[in-house]
Amino acid sequence: MHPQRSTPLPALSRRSFLVGAGAIGAGLALAGCAAPGGAAGATEISFYVSKPEVIGYFDTLIAEFHKTQSTVRVIRDSTSNMSADFVRNRPPDLGCWNYNFSMVQFVERGALSDLSDISEADRINPDIKPLLAATADYPGRTSVIPYSLTAASVLYNRDLFEQYGVAVPTTWDELVRVCEVFLAAGISPFFNTYKDTWTVAQGLFDYTVGGMLDVSAFFTKLKTEGTAVDARSAVSFQKDFEEPMTRLGELAKYANSNAASRGYGDGNLAFAQGKAAMYLQGPWALNEFAKTNPAMKVGTFPLPVTNDPGDLKVRVNVDLALWIPEVSTKKDAARQFLSFLMQPEIQNKYNADNNAFGTTKDAPPTTNPALVGMQQYYDDAAFYLGASQLIPSGIPVANYAQSIALGSSPIPVLKQIDGDWARLALRS
Amino acid sequence: MTSQISLAPPSTGGERTPVNGDSAHPRARTRGERFNWPVTIALLVCTLAVLIPLYVTLTMAFKTTAQAVDGNAFSLPAPFSVDGFVQAWTLTDFPRSFAISIGVSVISVVGTIILSAFAAFAISRNWNRRFFRWSFYYLLAAIFLPFPVLALSQVKLTGLLHLDNPIGVAILHITFQLGFSVLLFTAFLRSIPEELEESARLDGASTAQVFWQLIFPLLAPMSATVGIFAFLASWNDFVMPSLITSNPALQTLPVLQQIFQTQFSNNYNVSFASYLMAMAPAIIVYLFTQRWVMSGVTQGAIK
Repeated sequence: MHPQRSTPLPALSRRSFLVGAGAIGAGLALAGCAAPGGAAGATEISFYVSKPEVIGYFDTLIAEFHKTQSTVRVIRDSTSNMSADFVRNRPPDLGCWNYNFSMVQFVERGALSDLSDISEADRINPDIKPLLAATADYPGRTSVIPYSLTAASVLYNRDLFEQYGVAVPTTWDELVRVCEVFLAAGISPFFNTYKDTWTVAQGLFDYTVGGMLDVSAFFTKLKTEGTAVDARSAVSFQKDFEEPMTRLGELAKYANSNAASRGYGDGNLAFAQGKAAMYLQGPWALNEFAKTNPAMKVGTFPLPVTNDPGDLKVRVNVDLALWIPEVSTKKDAARQFLSFLMQPEIQNKYNADNNAFGTTKDAPPTTNPALVGMQQYYDDAAFYLGASQLIPSGIPVANYAQSIALGSSPIPVLKQIDGDWARLALRS
Repeated sequence: MTSQISLAPPSTGGERTPVNGDSAHPRARTRGERFNWPVTIALLVCTLAVLIPLYVTLTMAFKTTAQAVDGNAFSLPAPFSVDGFVQAWTLTDFPRSFAISIGVSVISVVGTIILSAFAAFAISRNWNRRFFRWSFYYLLAAIFLPFPVLALSQVKLTGLLHLDNPIGVAILHITFQLGFSVLLFTAFLRSIPEELEESARLDGASTAQVFWQLIFPLLAPMSATVGIFAFLASWNDFVMPSLITSNPALQTLPVLQQIFQTQFSNNYNVSFASYLMAMAPAIIVYLFTQRWVMSGVTQGAIK
């Protein structure tokens, strides 16, 4: 049976496979050669932007940019592996990327070129510069130009707040009263999602710490302690974070009873369905609510952790930042496109469309009803970077925060973080 | 489907028929059939482990975005929507990325079959020489080297050689598939009697003629097996193309699909529609060739 069947097979497949493979191979090789050459006369730059929801917007911008001039052609890249690109010395000519710990290695090793001499650098809001430096810094360089800033605080259901006649709390005692009102009405005050540990870190953990401590001052001092971070050092997690973590534990009592088994997607669904009054997430969740309940009225307020309204602050992170690698051979063309992207009408439209705040001195105030609650804190620079973002990723702070939210006593956990920090400092 | 059913029973039935005449065994047989609940349940669980995700993939793909995030994975699509397919089609530039994925897979399948058949033929016919024995062990050792261990050096090397494109990915797929395929081919070649080859040589055939006209056709069932493994490994690969391919316009389908899921947003209907379109070739290839997968594996196992 087999010889009969198999004799015609290889004869057929061998020839046609080889021809087919050869044709495809030649096609790919040609395409590979064609890419670097590009249109005659024009400089071709690659532009990296990986946020899926804004790829369409940037594609229209690239088309507009091509209409305004003919010397620079932009090719969008959304899938390359950034580390691999740098390893083979061919990174994108212009990057538009989340500015977080994934950027640290590129900034601190000087892989990004200095942008201090371009005019857009002077328009950047000076309050934002310390945020950039706190994440990663290369001495004497402006490595990145921030493009959008995300502010996160407590998202609340405005209809539920109105229905039960409660005002936005500005002190811890008021917050507790608000929670009691909802609890008495049978509505879960908070919807927490402990299954996804990052939600605990960016929500409960960062908000309680940022609402009580001067986060950047704490980490500056902590870095000077080196390996000597413990109960006797000037600052340490077990000394400074004990109070915020106690608050975290108290807040966790006002959460939905099934929080331990709920993830980010479940939380978005439940909050959009009005199953809870407050939700500790950033504006990135607004688009997810809209999938379920497009007419939902959401507001924001900073989480009060103390009884002094002067302590109220919102958590921010530099969402997108623009940068040009040192090894790029087309820096001028890349700068031309950078300037195009930084035009106020383009940048402001991006930030308005994407629930973000601007990064320039002249950025207009937000008109988004879900974000106006944070505008004043943004204007006063009453913001902090999330503490969980400033702890190296080698320390699983999200998991530690989860265990406190699930009822662990804070002190042993914080001692563990101190130990982790000291060990990491010893190694580096 | 029919090929799967027709393949399995004859092999067991073949054992049973002669046994039937034995007076001691009919009871054992009926008892075995009646009391084989554990196996039935185990197989049922295995079947469901495949069918349930497949069902969710199918229904999710046809849901609207609002229904896809409502937390009921098992509900039927209402209203029925092909919006997910439309979005997935445009976001991944489906025809182009599909063609590139196919191209990479075809090169890697053809290359794997030919190269490993060459190597296996040379090794099995020169087994008494130390160089060939050791080169066999050398190739086998590659099975124990996963790609992530070598990732950065490969990225650097392909960059230097201007192979940071789908061709480089296909070449690497071939090299990583080589160890396992040579193992299969060598085992299979030992079951082909050397007398066949001797008679061909007596008729004046050269080594090339012996290989192309005699051995390679005889290897066909094993080539199918090797080809299917190579196809699945290449078609489903994510890490290698994502690291090696530098030009985003030449990226394969699995890598492009990563944009559907981020930490902050879920587009289940779009992603599942896209997964379904990407899964189709692998399922179709397997449906038509599973007979050779099974027969190839068992033929290689029995000397």
